[in-house]
Amino acid sequence: MSPLKFKDVPVLRFIAFIVIPLVILILAAGAPKSYITSLIVTIGMYSLLCASLNLVNGFSGMFSMGHAAFMCIGAYMTSFFTVAPNVLAAHCPGLPNFMIHTSLPYPIALILGGLAAAVVSLVIAFPVVRTKGHYLSVATLALIVIVGAVVDNEEQFTYGSRGLTGIPAQSTVWPVWIVLIVCLFIMYRLVHSAYGRGLKAMRDDPTAAQTLGINLVSKKLSIFAFSAFFAGVGGGLYAHYLTTISSAAFSFTRSFAIVEISIIGGMGSLSGSFLGAIFYTIVPSLLQNLENGMVLFGTRLPQLFGLANIIMAAFIIILIIFRRQGLMGNSEIILDTYFRKSTYTALFKKGEWAKIPRYFADIPVRISAWSASRKKLRMEKKAP
Amino acid sequence: MTKLTKILALVLALVLALSLAACGAGGGNEPAPAPDDGSAPEQAAENTGTPLAEGEDIVVGGIFNVTGFQSPIDAPAQQAFALAIKQINENGGINGHMLKYVTYDGQTDQTVCANNATQLINTDGAIVIGGLSDSDYAYAAGAVAQAAGIPIVFSGATTPDIPEVNGNCSFMTAFGDNVCAEAAASYAYEELGARTAYVMIDNAMSYTTNLAQYFIDKFEELGGEIVLTDYSTTGDLDYSAQVQRYLANGEADIMFMSTGPDDASTVIQQFRQAGATAPMMSGDGWDSDLWGVAGDLANQDVYVATHYATSDDSPIVQNFIADYTEEYGYPPENAFAALGYDCMMVIAKAIEMCGDDITPANIRDNLEHIQGLECVTGTISYTPDNHVPAKTVVITQAVDGALSFLKNQA
Repeated sequence: MSPLKFKDVPVLRFIAFIVIPLVILILAAGAPKSYITSLIVTIGMYSLLCASLNLVNGFSGMFSMGHAAFMCIGAYMTSFFTVAPNVLAAHCPGLPNFMIHTSLPYPIALILGGLAAAVVSLVIAFPVVRTKGHYLSVATLALIVIVGAVVDNEEQFTYGSRGLTGIPAQSTVWPVWIVLIVCLFIMYRLVHSAYGRGLKAMRDDPTAAQTLGINLVSKKLSIFAFSAFFAGVGGGLYAHYLTTISSAAFSFTRSFAIVEISIIGGMGSLSGSFLGAIFYTIVPSLLQNLENGMVLFGTRLPQLFGLANIIMAAFIIILIIFRRQGLMGNSEIILDTYFRKSTYTALFKKGEWAKIPRYFADIPVRISAWSASRKKLRMEKKAP
Repeated sequence: MTKLTKILALVLALVLALSLAACGAGGGNEPAPAPDDGSAPEQAAENTGTPLAEGEDIVVGGIFNVTGFQSPIDAPAQQAFALAIKQINENGGINGHMLKYVTYDGQTDQTVCANNATQLINTDGAIVIGGLSDSDYAYAAGAVAQAAGIPIVFSGATTPDIPEVNGNCSFMTAFGDNVCAEAAASYAYEELGARTAYVMIDNAMSYTTNLAQYFIDKFEELGGEIVLTDYSTTGDLDYSAQVQRYLANGEADIMFMSTGPDDASTVIQQFRQAGATAPMMSGDGWDSDLWGVAGDLANQDVYVATHYATSDDSPIVQNFIADYTEEYGYPPENAFAALGYDCMMVIAKAIEMCGDDITPANIRDNLEHIQGLECVTGTISYTPDNHVPAKTVVITQAVDGALSFLKNQA
């Protein structure tokens, strides 16, 4: 019998991907605000942004770099509905009256922020999705410039480059992670529907997809809007985490960071956004001590600011050379665990629990099978 | 299709449940009602903490953007801040406590700055934080410090409303842009005898927009006349259109050029080469390399209102320059180094005033009562209502490749 694989043991997946993270989340949410909780919130926000970027970059074969622009729109629109009316009236007198005086519950404001981003994305998508490849990337980069310029110059709406302040700090652990899971569920269903299969067909071979009756233009426009919607929601979360926003928070570097996360995690996988976001957030924070001149074997290393960036950059280069598909590749193992009924029904089957000891017993078998397959691969490469 | 409807219904139900939950929880999370003036500084959570035990280290946090585009001004500030701490420790610390300096790179990114502030406060146990030279980052880190009740002193940020926006835990080391521009206007009107002014504004930066507006207001209040206002954008390489408009309008008595540091030299070169001879003036953003492309043209009647002049021969300034040069092997790069040094001096003074009872809340209270502290960049005083020091602005003139001290303009 072939050795058991991790994906064949739903109970173990349940423990690894649901029980352990949930325990961490519960502990973090109960604890007072600390560096760890702020990292967990940051991971949640970046996961959502990265997953929404993957809808376009990974599943539909376009390469958008304009995520920061949609975040910016979502962040401002959400904030307009949550910031206290007297602050808005003083700083953004140009806003319509109903916007100044309406205070909405946070989730509704987030949805409005997402919708605003989606509407804007539809408007710009008409010209932009006609371009392909590099041209699309550059066109979406231009979008960041446009949105930034509007935010800086339309003072009566945005208070200019001085930025919007006084945003309530509502992005704590639970709100961010609940929004993230709800959004991931929608995205997961989206890419696993007929619509999503059409997307992948379009990505792999546009001409073939078209001959099968897939309307490329409507697919591109709609997925662009979906992606922008979730980016807008992510921007809203981000604004309520920082509590102050200006165009500087949504510059090229923010877009590049999200693309970086997406490359690390794997562009073709929504689950990869978790791994990418965790990696992108945790590793630099560990390296910070190194930058700061930590004491190693009794000698104090010199301060080396910027070292974290250099190491991250080197890691990405290595990753692109040796594992271009990202850490997760095309696997959806984490989200499959979350959103498939089989994970939960397995908990009530005796046979499934019995698989756990078998899985651990199989580890040596798996390792030898893996090394054998590597050897075979090498031999095949050598053979003429 | 029915499946999709099911999913949609489920999502809608979730959203409704969530929003209801949010409404229910709203009571505790609602932002505090803001005062009527439009700003919303939440009152600090009083962080009284436990006073330090005898001999325990005082943890001082530093957040500086030593990488990214802010690094030319934040890196010198960080070095001077570290220098000040080193000197204090060499002199035996403060009230029997040594200082422990923990610093993180803000990476010119608001998220990182905010997370750094959290880490300094919660992980490293910093009871006071210094750093940051721009309002965007000062807002982000200041909000975190405010929520935790930890005092934060910004070294180089000059937007005067930072303490108003962040709340009562934020303090500034530098004067506000309004003070700088008003001093420049007064000097131009009174000392240079200017009655007409030309103003060029870089409207892509909040700093330059604010600075120009304050200058115009003060100059007109004094009785001067703005004959022409023109605009540019950060990074412009060609100012010929502005030059033509200026010359066609006739020369003014003074040209106030509100642009960023990187554009200063280009502006001087193009205006002077085209034959504009009126004196030029700008704020502390021009405390940078004016001679790059302009060469000798920068030595013709260019005035800069800034934080201090290296040619100032008062001992405190000369000692700072000597110490910095000895520590790092080159003189302070710009005024932000001096501000970083002063930032730590202000913090040290507040800690010293605490006596044996060193807590964040006490440091904050004492910061508010610092009076007449002699610093490299002038005399610093705070009051409970004003966390922006009313410092004198130093008017300098570009002479032979350096900014030479002219006058302390109140």
